[in-house]
Amino acid sequence: MIDYKGVDFAKILKRYDVEAQNEDSPETIAKKMLPADPVLKKVAEAVLYMKLKEVGPITADALKTHKPLDIINNGLVVGMECVAKLYAAHIYYLPEIMMAAKTMEIGIALAEKQIAGGRQTKGLVVMHAAEGDPHDIGKNIAAVMLRSSGYSVIDMGKDVAVTDVVAKVEETKPMLVTGTALMTTTMTAFPRAAEILRKDGFNMPFMAAGGAVNRDFAESFDLGIYSEKAPQTPPIADKILAGYDWKRIREEWDDIIGA
Amino acid sequence: MATKYTKMAYANADEMVFGTAKQPVSYGFGIKVGAGRVIPELNYGPRPGSEKDPARLRKEYVDYISKDVLNRAVTLGFPDVQLETEWISQMGNPKMSTPVVEGQKEICEKYHEEYGINCAVRHTIPDQREAEEGLRTGMGGSHGYPEALFRAAEVACENGADVLSCETMGGKELADYATTNGDIVAFLFGVGYLGAIDMEYVWSEFVDIAKKNKCIAGGDTNCSGANTSMFMAGGFLDNDVQRTYSAVTRAIASQRTLVAWECGASGPDKDCGYEGPICKAIAGKPCAQEGKNCQCAHADLQGNLMAQVCDLWSNESVEYHPEFGGSSVQCWLGSLGYEVSLMNTAIATGNEKILRDLYMISDRVRGPEGHILAYDNAYKIGQAIVENGKDYYLRGKAAGLTAAKIIKSSYDSKELALTNKQLDVVNNIIKDLEALPDDTDKFVEYAVKKYKDAIPNFNLKNYGL
Repeated sequence: MIDYKGVDFAKILKRYDVEAQNEDSPETIAKKMLPADPVLKKVAEAVLYMKLKEVGPITADALKTHKPLDIINNGLVVGMECVAKLYAAHIYYLPEIMMAAKTMEIGIALAEKQIAGGRQTKGLVVMHAAEGDPHDIGKNIAAVMLRSSGYSVIDMGKDVAVTDVVAKVEETKPMLVTGTALMTTTMTAFPRAAEILRKDGFNMPFMAAGGAVNRDFAESFDLGIYSEKAPQTPPIADKILAGYDWKRIREEWDDIIGA
Repeated sequence: MATKYTKMAYANADEMVFGTAKQPVSYGFGIKVGAGRVIPELNYGPRPGSEKDPARLRKEYVDYISKDVLNRAVTLGFPDVQLETEWISQMGNPKMSTPVVEGQKEICEKYHEEYGINCAVRHTIPDQREAEEGLRTGMGGSHGYPEALFRAAEVACENGADVLSCETMGGKELADYATTNGDIVAFLFGVGYLGAIDMEYVWSEFVDIAKKNKCIAGGDTNCSGANTSMFMAGGFLDNDVQRTYSAVTRAIASQRTLVAWECGASGPDKDCGYEGPICKAIAGKPCAQEGKNCQCAHADLQGNLMAQVCDLWSNESVEYHPEFGGSSVQCWLGSLGYEVSLMNTAIATGNEKILRDLYMISDRVRGPEGHILAYDNAYKIGQAIVENGKDYYLRGKAAGLTAAKIIKSSYDSKELALTNKQLDVVNNIIKDLEALPDDTDKFVEYAVKKYKDAIPNFNLKNYGL
């Protein structure tokens, strides 16, 4: 082997990940976001620090003094918002998001039992991976992120036929439909499904995503909008909730994603 | 039945070089892989819409794509070219696939006869099996995907495939969970143990089908596991999965990929199996790799390094469409072909080890994934595998631990930089793997208990257990 001892690798490559790493701790960033109320703070910290086994007893304790919706919105959800902030700051990563989301869902399930008629979510999203496409890891991550952001999700899984997607939308009338595809020859299912939905009078956005899909394709058919990565899905859903239709999402996509 | 590797094909790491394998393979129209020169392998995807009927699909693959590639190879004076058709899902229907396989064979023969160019076609069939429907034949899934997998192998081999390959999905349900949750033990169980068992099941059959039809059984890749983690780990601006985790998954995946060869496949394995240097070190069979010249599909952190010991050099895949310099397949063949020409010039002038080392050194410390694949480190991981060669779990664990310790040691010696998070993750991986039992039955018992309720569609019957 050629002797490379003494080679100045800085002249060959630059490790931006090492040089730019965020040295802040989760505590530093979360300090500014956590609730002042000590009971709610403890609930939020259970999510923030992914205390899977402890979140149940902590939520149960909190329910003795606080209303369930207060615990959900000002404790569990705030904890998850801290996690999202840490993810954006490159202090937390995907495994922490997944673990924190699981922790939050345990707490929410407990608190929800004490809300008559159940908790109202922000809205319903129907998700699937295209017919013939077995790749669904991105959809699964987006589903966790949507649930963590307060949306209900019907996850139809992978390799889902167009007719099944259409039937589910007709049955549940979601605010958003998503489809993912890793292959250019399976993503063609999306315009077919969107066309049927359009003819049936639906006007909700149909989000096309996944490795094969690009923005041009997603915006090539009526209803179609684009998501490049899973974390972009909740902010887009928030805009739909705010009244944006698929045309306006397209027009303001760069700003929405940038936000 | 797999005959497991218990010793290394190469006496030492330095013996490995691009273009030469201990066990070269010949097929197609004059193609000789691993016999002293590197061969470009061009992979492509048809345009959306071409899947609508058999005639359109055949035209796309044969009259447009294959013809363009072969024309450009002749135009630029490349002596060899291998085509790779990764079947789209619709080709599970023989009416769609048969005309493509036959047509590509015919056009290769025509160009070989007319110009003397050496050429062949690898057919990579789709594995659409889903854990929830069953991974084995006769499990009763509504789509019949396991049956379709073996039928596709027969269709490919009977109609003119020169090389049969596949990207099998065994273990994926655990690999997805493992990677999204950063759980290396789940990856070891899913890919290292169950995935290897699935490989033995699938490749024993593939090898028989290929032999029956005088086709070469090439090899596999853990694209659905180790590549998923590598591409989620991404580059320096990404923050989903840690690159130290991804590097260790690659090492574990290598012993799964090896199983195809242990079942009798002869290579070349699949280009997207970045574990190729480890597998080649163990088996001495030729490997296809991708790196700098596959930017049309993958951006990874070891674009030069991956060329170090390759026998076929690939572009991974590109959708067929026009570019300024011709069609996309022609442009990427040019990119591949000139790189291969450089490698073959190095061989012809006796400078192959110098070029190999320059490729390797340029990416050696760009990240932990490339670091463990540098041929000296890949060789060490190979040694750990063969020392535990007869047991999938033990050799997967040994491969993972060796990779993790290489990373840690290179960090400690200040050769390889890591972020604090990457360091935390590799330290935890070492701790987690060292804590596992040395007995396979005990490990399986532990893993089943831990994951059976956590992982959707977990079913040991998929693995004959």
